Amino acid sequence: MGKQIFITPIFLLYGLLITGQNKTKAKDSIVALDEVELISVIKKKIETDMKMAVSVDEFLASSDKISFIKRGAYAWEPLLNNMSSERATITIDGMHVFGACTDKMDPISSYVESNNLTAIDIASGQEGNMHGATVAGSIDLKRKSTPFSVTKQWKGAYQTGFEVNNKQFFNLGNLSYASEKFVADASLAYRKAENYSDGNSDEVEHSQFKKLNASLGLAYKTSDLSSVKVEAIYDEAKDVGYPALPMDLWLSRALITSATYKQLFEEGLFQALDTKVYFNAIEHYMDDTTRPENLVHMDMPGWSTTYGLLSNAHLKKKSFSSEIQLNAYNNYSIAEMRMYPQDRSERSMFAYSWPGVTTTFAGLSMNNTWKISDRSLLSFGGALGVNYNHSKYVEFNWIFHPGTPQEKTRILPSLHAGYQLNLKRFNFNIGGGYGHRAPSVSEGYGYYIYNSFDRYDYIGNPDLDNEISYEVNASAGYTIDRFSLNANVNYFYIDNYIIGRILSLGSPMNYQSIGVKGYTSLDYATLFNFSLNGSYSILDNLHWNGTLTYARGKDNNDNNLPFIRPLSYQTGLHFQYNKLSLQSSLNGDLEQINYSPEYGEDQTPSYTIWNVSADYSFRIKNYKTVIQVGAENVLNEYYSTYADWGNIPRMGRNIFTALKFNF
Amino acid sequence: MKEISFFMTAILVAVTSCTLDKTDYEDEISTEVTEHFDYETVVSISEAQYQIDIAALNGTFYKGYNEIRIQITNTDNNTSVNNAEITFLPLLTDTFGNTSSGPHQYQLDYLSAEDYYLGYTVFPEETDASQYWEVHLSFTNEDVTHNVTQIITVEEQTNMNLNMTSFTGNDGELYYIALVAPQKPSISENELVAGLYKYMTPTQEAGNFPDQSQFSFAKVEDYTIRLDPRMPEPSMGNHSSPNNEDLTPHSDGLYYGVVNYTMTGNWTLNLILENEFGETLKGTEVSTEFTPGIEGTKSELFIDILF
Repeated sequence: MGKQIFITPIFLLYGLLITGQNKTKAKDSIVALDEVELISVIKKKIETDMKMAVSVDEFLASSDKISFIKRGAYAWEPLLNNMSSERATITIDGMHVFGACTDKMDPISSYVESNNLTAIDIASGQEGNMHGATVAGSIDLKRKSTPFSVTKQWKGAYQTGFEVNNKQFFNLGNLSYASEKFVADASLAYRKAENYSDGNSDEVEHSQFKKLNASLGLAYKTSDLSSVKVEAIYDEAKDVGYPALPMDLWLSRALITSATYKQLFEEGLFQALDTKVYFNAIEHYMDDTTRPENLVHMDMPGWSTTYGLLSNAHLKKKSFSSEIQLNAYNNYSIAEMRMYPQDRSERSMFAYSWPGVTTTFAGLSMNNTWKISDRSLLSFGGALGVNYNHSKYVEFNWIFHPGTPQEKTRILPSLHAGYQLNLKRFNFNIGGGYGHRAPSVSEGYGYYIYNSFDRYDYIGNPDLDNEISYEVNASAGYTIDRFSLNANVNYFYIDNYIIGRILSLGSPMNYQSIGVKGYTSLDYATLFNFSLNGSYSILDNLHWNGTLTYARGKDNNDNNLPFIRPLSYQTGLHFQYNKLSLQSSLNGDLEQINYSPEYGEDQTPSYTIWNVSADYSFRIKNYKTVIQVGAENVLNEYYSTYADWGNIPRMGRNIFTALKFNF
Repeated sequence: MKEISFFMTAILVAVTSCTLDKTDYEDEISTEVTEHFDYETVVSISEAQYQIDIAALNGTFYKGYNEIRIQITNTDNNTSVNNAEITFLPLLTDTFGNTSSGPHQYQLDYLSAEDYYLGYTVFPEETDASQYWEVHLSFTNEDVTHNVTQIITVEEQTNMNLNMTSFTGNDGELYYIALVAPQKPSISENELVAGLYKYMTPTQEAGNFPDQSQFSFAKVEDYTIRLDPRMPEPSMGNHSSPNNEDLTPHSDGLYYGVVNYTMTGNWTLNLILENEFGETLKGTEVSTEFTPGIEGTKSELFIDILF
């Protein structure tokens, strides 16, 4: 079954590849075809100040809106605005992809690689409603896409590097071909790492990983103003250790495919219309045979399959521009657990941890900007979605929720508005939002999902109410020639905040577990996020930047919410001398004062990490080459952060090297 | 383009290589349990002009609870005999010649719609080398009474969901609990049905063999069978399930309750039998403590099941 699903789109692509090779004659071209980006919220190159060859996770970490739950060295779970990943929509080019692991070992960001991405768009709160209902916002991973070119050209890049601490060796290559009618983008990446060592130079067992990622995109210009494109990403992670969990990953595979039709309009209200159909299939197989200390051997495979459609239109009339998007997708998630008795000849014990859950969503989103004057801008938008769930083996849900319906339909509205004012050196922003989200598959239908953080088995509740978010946000900035300072705040008041609460019913199923928690709605919870960013050019070639973030989350009884980042800081210096550049940064968290013992947290002490790196650009023949050497955690500090699952220690001193060729 | 073709081929090979198949749920819950739906004749007895057919599920008598359906046909005119008085007495004889029985319905009911006589019997033992079962059947038709005796075979019940137990309660009486349903449980709420019977100690000397008064059993009314299902497998720490309901008597004389099985495997139904005054006749509470690594403790009254 799973195999056939994988084969079909590949053959489809294969056919298109062959037909796409037909050469066509030169004609007028519209180079800008692939560069229509009317609304881009935050856009960055896929590298950080410190490191040019980063993983997707390391890159995401450079945003002050994102923090991570880390279960090891691989596949970190991004938290946007200090909210867990089910509160955000995480998409790849607007496509919904859902992880197949009940234990969140495979966030969507783990199925891409930095060399097939061009940018990551992060939108906070209801401004992120474009791709579907959300509370925290949206993270859209933008794939690389080379524009059509009048002259035929091949371009490529190759990066390789070695990180000493965990003997990570990586090779990332990408190649593109562009002509007037046809574009091909391909990338291939392979990373292999062994166990890392912590700040006491002790090896952290089960922290190795191997990842292969390949992508291909083929675009064909069907007319001066239109093009079709087929794309695929294949990702395979094998033998990945999760030191914070009682099991590892044997294999996870993702095939993410799409076909897009894009039409531009030279005149009139419509500027661009972009329609995409997509399919993705994910399989995820956990493995605990590497953990002989486990009392119970378990198989825990999971599968997630999604079909979707998205259609996006850009409209513009004078100072008014608008973006409308239709999102529709259908996801089927199923996960199994099979426990083996100590006498393996005895009957194994089977249950579904996701009892075959279908989620169908259809929604229309609209965002508008009205440029009132040169100094002020009003943006407003809304979305309305319908979310439908169906549980195939609803009898599993009846065990804890007798008689709960097999199907559930929810209406998910969203509204937001913001006003932006620029006054010479100052800029101000104020906005607000309102939106609903539906419970995730685990929150609604999960069945004895073991959470090794608080050591409870979690049970979903299909009857949970929509989580309703009311948010306000504001920012103020000051910029002069050499100096800029920017402050951001947002505040969320979330009705029916979904979180696990101890159930007086039932008893644990997983032997490590100490009890059963059910997903429940709190009356409300509140979340406050603050960040301050500054930069200063001390000299023409010496720059400073710094960030301070603070967050606070409370439930309706004034207790702390879990996974809220304590006061954290980052400060960096960047020095450029001819082709040599030197970077140094310090970052850290203060002591976690507002932790939540109720949700399994303990107090995490403060830490400070010092990083340095140097890179040098030169040319080998015509190839632009950059070489970089650096060290993270230079002082080999032993630390773990507030969001390190089970307080696993982070990596100690890590010397990294990287080499990049561009041609 | 050659590279891309090669690359695509590589992907093609990679994605079609081995992956695990999903579990077929129906197959999974059928691995241990075969569900029987059909009543088939177990024995046919000829007596005068009558043919007596005794039918049970799957054409077999099993240890534990058996619903029995008897048809009597007059072979002279090939019509079935309605509304006869039928009595049914199963007896177990051991090597020493001692006889005993199990809970059963002595006088069968005639169901006109289905055109058979309905009863049940609980066989507490299987037929083996040291003991055998026989059925003593009598019926009266047209004022003539016929008595027949037939040796039958009682086989082992391989479906543990139809297990039974017998015990002496604190009141000194001999009780039987036999599971009736579900034959094939699923990972869900299951309606649990059991028969609760009591041996009626004879009040007079035995008369002519077979004297029914020496082998009399009654359905017990107004008691409660308290239920606490657990998984005794050491790795499961005596895991239990929520929302179970104790078994209480129903108008059909059987006891009905609800058992939730959270996964397949070995389960123990820990029971406490209480009389109408809430006094415990048998059974002990099981600690709710989660004890991974240790074989689960059981009530002194329990029935093991497996699916």
